[in-house]
Amino acid sequence: MSSLIAYYPGKTIFHRLDPRVKIIFMLLISTAIFTVKSILIAGLVLLLMVILWFVARLPLKVLMSFMKILLGIIFFLFVVQAILYPGDTPIIKPLIPIGNGIGQITLEGILFAVLLSLRLMAMIILLPLVSFTTPVQSFALGMVKMGLPYKLAYTMTTALNLVPILQAEIGVIVDAQRLRAMKSFEKGKLGEKLRAYPALVTPLVIGSMRRAQLMAVAMDSRAFGASKNRTYLEDEHMETRDWVFLFLSVLITAGMIAGNYLF
Amino acid sequence: MRRDIINAPAIEFQDVSYRYPRTKRWVLTHLNFKIEQGEFVALMGENGAGKSTACLMMNGIIPNSVGGRLAGKVLIHGLDTKETGISVMATKVGIVLEDPETQLFTTSVKSEIAFGPENLCLPVEEIEERVQWALDVVRLTGYEDRLPSSLSGGQKQRLAIAANIAMRPDILVLDEATSQLDPVGVEEVLQVVHDLNKKFGMTIVMATDASEMIARLMDRVMVLDAGTKVVDGKPREIFSNTGLFKKLMIRSPQVSQLAVQMEEAGHSFTEFPITVSEANTCVQELLKGTRVSTVEANKKNGVVSEESAITVEHLDYIYQPLNVHAVRDVCFEIKQGEFVALIGQNGSGKTTILKNLLGLLHPTKGKVVVAGQDTRTTAVAEMARHVGFVLQNPDQQLFAETVEDEVAYGPKNIKLGQELIEKRVAESLELVGLEDKRKEFPPALAKGDRAKVVIASALALDPSIIVLDEPTTGQDYRGCHQIMQIAQSLHEQGRTVVFVTHHMALVAEYAQRVIVLCGGKVLLDDVTESVFSKPDVVRQAYIIPPQITELGQALPPELGLPPTPLTVQTMSTAILDRLNHRD
Repeated sequence: MSSLIAYYPGKTIFHRLDPRVKIIFMLLISTAIFTVKSILIAGLVLLLMVILWFVARLPLKVLMSFMKILLGIIFFLFVVQAILYPGDTPIIKPLIPIGNGIGQITLEGILFAVLLSLRLMAMIILLPLVSFTTPVQSFALGMVKMGLPYKLAYTMTTALNLVPILQAEIGVIVDAQRLRAMKSFEKGKLGEKLRAYPALVTPLVIGSMRRAQLMAVAMDSRAFGASKNRTYLEDEHMETRDWVFLFLSVLITAGMIAGNYLF
Repeated sequence: MRRDIINAPAIEFQDVSYRYPRTKRWVLTHLNFKIEQGEFVALMGENGAGKSTACLMMNGIIPNSVGGRLAGKVLIHGLDTKETGISVMATKVGIVLEDPETQLFTTSVKSEIAFGPENLCLPVEEIEERVQWALDVVRLTGYEDRLPSSLSGGQKQRLAIAANIAMRPDILVLDEATSQLDPVGVEEVLQVVHDLNKKFGMTIVMATDASEMIARLMDRVMVLDAGTKVVDGKPREIFSNTGLFKKLMIRSPQVSQLAVQMEEAGHSFTEFPITVSEANTCVQELLKGTRVSTVEANKKNGVVSEESAITVEHLDYIYQPLNVHAVRDVCFEIKQGEFVALIGQNGSGKTTILKNLLGLLHPTKGKVVVAGQDTRTTAVAEMARHVGFVLQNPDQQLFAETVEDEVAYGPKNIKLGQELIEKRVAESLELVGLEDKRKEFPPALAKGDRAKVVIASALALDPSIIVLDEPTTGQDYRGCHQIMQIAQSLHEQGRTVVFVTHHMALVAEYAQRVIVLCGGKVLLDDVTESVFSKPDVVRQAYIIPPQITELGQALPPELGLPPTPLTVQTMSTAILDRLNHRD
């Protein structure tokens, strides 16, 4: 599985945006998307995300792999919503009436399931769209410029950076167990799988602590946090394109919210 | 280079003793030494001797950041590290660690180098200038925008050096910084370190056991044992100290080992050699006036059957989603009972191939049949009964509370009877020599023992094939040989052994056959001797033959000595044989 947190180097306009703008963009859209009640608007937001994905020249394959993972969840949501959502326009009636409309698949149920799926897909593109195009140090810089102390900002972004490393580490430990004839990860029942997981903890905790210690040594040796101020080689300044993008983000957000009243 | 206090030595340890927080054992005891500005010092000793601790003390990380109890004084140019801030120390002493991953944390080569100077609040122009200078010194100019994770092992360590020297320290400490690298990677890093020492007068302290590679670069060797200094002197004095090497397992250059063996047989070289060219002269002088005798080829025992253990047919592997073509059209067959080494640069596809053997990865194209099973259709847990695969890092493979539970984990998974489990555990622990550690907590064992527990755990499933992925990385000389001895005894039992390593001396000594990989393809696949007889070819795969083999190749052929000796023993036997035929 691909990680949501990684950096794909590039020089596209989206890569070059000020990290503050990208952070605000992410916060605005991800909040507004939950208020959207119209399929049309949710669809447009999703389309926008996909367009931005191409603008940022991120690999299509990675997008597809996210969608593949989502497919299961979407299917599940679809079934649950379609069955449980109360509605007045039944399409398929249950063979045995249960009452209160439960069990019957309604048009409203299906529409709501479509809306939820669109929101979910837009969200899952939004996060990597920003994290894939922003190096950790710009992220940190963005947060510093927004008022966070440098050490805190850098520690937060470094923690984010550790996510893919931890994912890889879990993968290796699971492999190590499979190599010792542990079947549960391949075709075990859920109960068996759950029983197999505690064995992951010891190596994972020991490994992470060791890594964290070494990383602290390396960072200290490079004068991390030597003073409250610090030079930034690649300093960020809001340029025209940043202001324009920020303006557009606010406009889109406003549109998303206003759309609720129009449709 | 700046000198703060001209007369004080660059590094001075005054009666230093130290123990880590929440522990009782003194890791260093009454350690005393001085290192002058501009010296190149190698710090040698077995694992646990206190080398890393001493290294981390030189820039004040111990005790300022780590804590613990420090008695005595560590002075850097006369400054007491305990009373100096870590960030001030960072401008005086740079440090490069063993694992390239943990010390690189930004997303471009340039920002990695700028990280330290930025923290020092230097002006942008100054940082730009230092970045360019550091890139130039480590020969990474042009790599500014690359992702550090996309670099090779040698490049990563050179980047770590650049990131440190950009803070303009006059001391650089390298703690096992080359131990995970392929031979050419080691050479690249050492070349840079050599430049820093000679061109810029930087003091270099290197904890390492790559003695062959650094013999000609270093001024001085300091050997630590159990937290204290045992000997300290010029490389030639140290490596000729036979008493010392009988007591401690430290890797001395193979040509020095040869000289020691000759001396023990009563034949002294005119000068004690530490490099190939010195040994070349010595051997030629010693053999003046002797007759050529017949040379016997290297022989390795072990029974090889006709039965196929591993068949790899046109294997291609592509990592998704980024389309990384790691292995291309690889074909080989390994017979039951063979002892095979898989070698090549970091990233040449070795681990990918190993993972395909077990079904941890499935071929993108081609076919892999192991122990009669097609890996595509066999579950990993099932494969594990036929193939014991020991992954690189033991710490990721220890799950249990005690050593015996750890070893019993596999047999329990395949639901063997209690009696049989007991028997397998006992046999496996005996084979690796850990019978007396049954009740211990695996992660708390010494590094060498942790690796042995993992090997025992794989053996407990009684596999006919054993695959070891870099079993000796991070192990000291003693650990390396103990692990390879275990592999050797498994081979003698008739099991197939396949291993990956960067230690060419071990490949030469133990493997019958070597498969050399380069860029995901098989470059050479032959018996060990003929592989190492083509140094120009193997160099494409970032491999350099062991020093004793290089000596064999450097000696004039008319001497009639083995042209591709694989071990020091082969060479010394051949020379002694010649001396006994003296007219």
